[in-house]
Amino acid sequence: MPRTGVFICHCGTNIAGTVDIEKTVKASRSFPGVVHADDYRYLCSEMGQDIIKNAIKDNNLDRVVVGTCSPRMHEQTFRKAASEAGLNPYMVEVANIREHCSWVHRNMDEATPKAVALVRAAAAKAALNDPLEAPAIEVEKRALVIGGGIAGIQTALDIAEAGYVVDLVEREPSIGGRMAQLEKTFPTLDCSACILTPKMVEAAQHPNINLITYSEVEEVKGFVGQFDVKIRQKARSIDPVKCTGCGICYEKCPAKAPSEFEMGRAKRKAIYVPFPQAVPNIPVIDRENCLYFKKGRCQICAKECPPQAVDYEQQDEILERRYGVIVVATGFDQLDPSIYGEYGYGQHPDILTGLEFERLFNASGPTAGKVVRLSDGKPPKKVVFIQCVGSRDKARGMNYCSKICCMYTAKQALLLKEKLPDAKSYVFYIDVRTAGKGYEEFQRRAAEEYDVAYLRGQVGKIFPENDYLVVRGVDSLSGKTIEINADMVVLAAAAIARSDATELGRIVGINSDSYKFFNEAHPKLKPVETHTAGIFIAGACQAPKDIPDTVAQAGAAAVKAIGLLSKELLKGEACTAEVNQAECSGCLYCEAVCPYNAINPVEIEERYHGGTLQRTVAEVNPSLCQGCGSCTVICRSGSINLRGFTNEQILAEVDAICLQR
Amino acid sequence: MSTALNETKANWEPLIVAFCCTWCSYAGGDLAGTSRMSYPSNVKVIRVPCSGRMNPMFVLRAFQRGADGVLVAGCHPGDCHYTTGNYHGRRRLSAFKKLVEFAGFEPERFEVRWISSSEGDKFAEEMETITEKIKALGPNRKMRDARWQSVT
Amino acid sequence: MAERNVDELKKIRDVVSQDLLGGRIDLLLGWEKGHYWWQSRPLFAAREEDLEKLTWDSFCAVNLSRYLLEELKDHQKVGVLVKGCDSRAFNRLLQDNMVKREQVILYGLPCPGMLDYKLIVHYAEAEPVGIVEQNGQVVIKTAAGEKTADRQQLLMEKCRGCLYPDPVVYDQLLLEPQGVKEVEERFKSIEELESLSDEERYAYWEKELSRCLRCYACRQACPYCSCRECFVEQENPRWQGRAYQPSENFMFHLIRAYHGVGRCIDCGECQRACPVDIPLQELNRKLIKDINELYGHYEAGLDNETEPPLLTYRPDDPAAFSEK
Repeated sequence: MPRTGVFICHCGTNIAGTVDIEKTVKASRSFPGVVHADDYRYLCSEMGQDIIKNAIKDNNLDRVVVGTCSPRMHEQTFRKAASEAGLNPYMVEVANIREHCSWVHRNMDEATPKAVALVRAAAAKAALNDPLEAPAIEVEKRALVIGGGIAGIQTALDIAEAGYVVDLVEREPSIGGRMAQLEKTFPTLDCSACILTPKMVEAAQHPNINLITYSEVEEVKGFVGQFDVKIRQKARSIDPVKCTGCGICYEKCPAKAPSEFEMGRAKRKAIYVPFPQAVPNIPVIDRENCLYFKKGRCQICAKECPPQAVDYEQQDEILERRYGVIVVATGFDQLDPSIYGEYGYGQHPDILTGLEFERLFNASGPTAGKVVRLSDGKPPKKVVFIQCVGSRDKARGMNYCSKICCMYTAKQALLLKEKLPDAKSYVFYIDVRTAGKGYEEFQRRAAEEYDVAYLRGQVGKIFPENDYLVVRGVDSLSGKTIEINADMVVLAAAAIARSDATELGRIVGINSDSYKFFNEAHPKLKPVETHTAGIFIAGACQAPKDIPDTVAQAGAAAVKAIGLLSKELLKGEACTAEVNQAECSGCLYCEAVCPYNAINPVEIEERYHGGTLQRTVAEVNPSLCQGCGSCTVICRSGSINLRGFTNEQILAEVDAICLQR
Repeated sequence: MSTALNETKANWEPLIVAFCCTWCSYAGGDLAGTSRMSYPSNVKVIRVPCSGRMNPMFVLRAFQRGADGVLVAGCHPGDCHYTTGNYHGRRRLSAFKKLVEFAGFEPERFEVRWISSSEGDKFAEEMETITEKIKALGPNRKMRDARWQSVT
Repeated sequence: MAERNVDELKKIRDVVSQDLLGGRIDLLLGWEKGHYWWQSRPLFAAREEDLEKLTWDSFCAVNLSRYLLEELKDHQKVGVLVKGCDSRAFNRLLQDNMVKREQVILYGLPCPGMLDYKLIVHYAEAEPVGIVEQNGQVVIKTAAGEKTADRQQLLMEKCRGCLYPDPVVYDQLLLEPQGVKEVEERFKSIEELESLSDEERYAYWEKELSRCLRCYACRQACPYCSCRECFVEQENPRWQGRAYQPSENFMFHLIRAYHGVGRCIDCGECQRACPVDIPLQELNRKLIKDINELYGHYEAGLDNETEPPLLTYRPDDPAAFSEK
């Protein structure tokens, strides 16, 4: 039989003014298991807490019910007091007789019986309370950042600066990501390389950062504080210690392949660094296109390499490391606009995407920085920009706004005018969206000072005629058909999730929205957290965003990561789900509804007819469980229960409340 | 027959059990309190972590034990503290509501509401509304377990 | 005597005896004749001679997949004869991780629908002593002579609304497919009940459920009732009171039906098994109807890829509450 003590707080007159304290205390004494009942003016005060502590000791109480303000106010206070008196803090229950009773009812006749009912329910629940322990998790003081674009670099730098070791994993041979592909950045027109390259170098040289490039995360196990990760380091075919980055190998290499960095609009060698400022400045051999790997002959790079760093025998390596936290910053892709037949993308060399056009401005780009037509090398006179190609398109593309296109289009049109003062730009748009510091001013400058013609409307057809492209559209403001004989067309293709985002999400344990962007834990209040504790997201893998937003989010993710890493032990949630494995039938519906991937199948052996039988049942990882209880309802047999809010406890509360009307 | 079943409408006061998720609706109830809003004391709240924790059996048990109406209140869809609890809860409790109505319960006897922690006024209004509706319907005898005596 | 098609039975027996003898399976779940000619009960054939008892007639209503739960504990590989509904029951068990696909060989039997003895009696207007089937007609033999009825008229309630007479999963299809069947309106009786007033509906169920003996035959026959310990038997918490009174009967039947949301394959075994003829399928069908209307069409047991409606959600899902 439980030994419950009930304590009723007057809260000055806040409760005592409307609830008959004496009656409530007297009624409490009659509740099952209650061996002591008392009241005090302010139970939350030092004196009040002492009354509870002393009563626990004097009456050998094993559980405590406090009739007082909302548990959201002082549950912690009373739990702490109880634990100071030697009781498990979870043996305390609070009956909310202030916010839910004395403050919302006007007279004693009404409020007193309700207060009695609420205290009775709390006592009925408390009788079924079990001592609970929040799991303590040791924290591995090492962070993993996946993705080496500006988001990943910034996150890694911030964490490293706080004094923790960071492994920065990048799939490509160099860090830098999308920002490395940009010429200039809006709205300040800084040269992208000028602000990014120093950060790349800083990351490479930081004593707390390990760059693990040309590598991919293959497996993530464990939980916050202790993630066990397997990383595949792909064979570079170059010894990174010997390589000096002199570049002779790729100068001499005879084999060519389309350059990923140039969006396929230029060639690179089979042994290559993706771009001149690559970090690390160590080439890789693309074995699919290398003559030696294809035909067994060539080896020119090996022969020409002064420090003899080329190693054709190199194998993929698997790194196995433990991390306390993981930040995913894998960025975005560009939609392939060839699904829009009317725009003719892929059928004419002068119809480009925004990112492809961007490369034309870059000195190391396909045209060595000359903005010319890829078809005939002539500078364009008229360039048509088309917005929302695949964005804000329910029927064929993505419903969302890609957010960056309005601004980069304004930037490109402005840069074009600076490079080619004779050129004229036209922008077909649905709306011009320029929310951001200095953005509106920037776009206005492009329109007003740089002679960029903004045409509200849509393009219905683009086709080549003579040596130009006829762009036929409708101006939705005037209703008139517009025809422009353009030299080039630039399509603002939607920013979309990486094609393999879902796969990575599955490996790491993050779920995605319907567009395959990673889901944050809460759209407003937890923008960088995910449902899995200890795993954070930053940058455009969460949704399209520009550089300032990305860097801000990267900093936020770093702070969250540092917050965890700074702890020796993490306190988990005490009210977690638990499985009665003898009863569990192993249907794993609970696993399907768990938002935290906290439930896994596990094989158990059971005695059966003298032998043993193997079967699958569910198991909860209390370090991951956050205690929502959704699993308990999908479980038909009630084999999974929620500590602190068990089926038994809730039913007992129902019974107790219904005893009195 | 227990006395409760024979009570006349005149001196009868309904009992309404409200299951509130701790993050939104229970907090909304707290706000109604701090703002000194008034609603009928017929409503008594049981705190649950999430509307996704609501097992339909809790509702039926309340009816068995003499509740005249049951309300489940949770965060607005999209605002769940656990992100998906109320989405799952919405499907589960929609199916359940259809079932209890099919069994012959008046639709007003079991309801679900989305009340955020900033909607103290909505909390008070909903408690007022459900109490009025249940008062108009009269005592619930459906599924009422006659052996369960109520104490007055 | 109730044989329908001797050739079919021979074909089935040939295939399964070959597999049983060859060691491809170590148990066959089929049917054998029961005490009366109008009863066919499960056959557990582990040896060749057991197969002599095998039958395939119009009374093989018992869903055999359900027996896998127990039999797979003692056997390595079990062969099961599956009608359309048995095959969907198998998918149900598969989806609930109750069976392993590789431990089971399914012999598909497209099913013409099973006959209801009570209807035969009703139609014969005398005690029938046997039937002979030919060309969609059933000749009922009684002491007073013969009476011929249309086969469709004698179908079991659960077979009338059957949408999938052909097995949806099998390793070997032993008979010719039945093809798409025309069914009477599946939800007609549900709609009729819905049109009643709350009071009338409650009175209807109070009356129907008052007969419940709580024998739990409905649960035992059901392919979605696969819990190791049913809520009705649990002591802690005591969800279900033991008393035979309306409140507890409602508790049992509402929750049992609720456990079938998105899981019930509508095989009607609960209703067939019920010794006091409670129209249990109506509760299940109501939920199927509502879930389909609210969250999109879903037929449980058709495949294992489509996510069951209660395991998923859409942010813009509708709700059945007065506030949407």
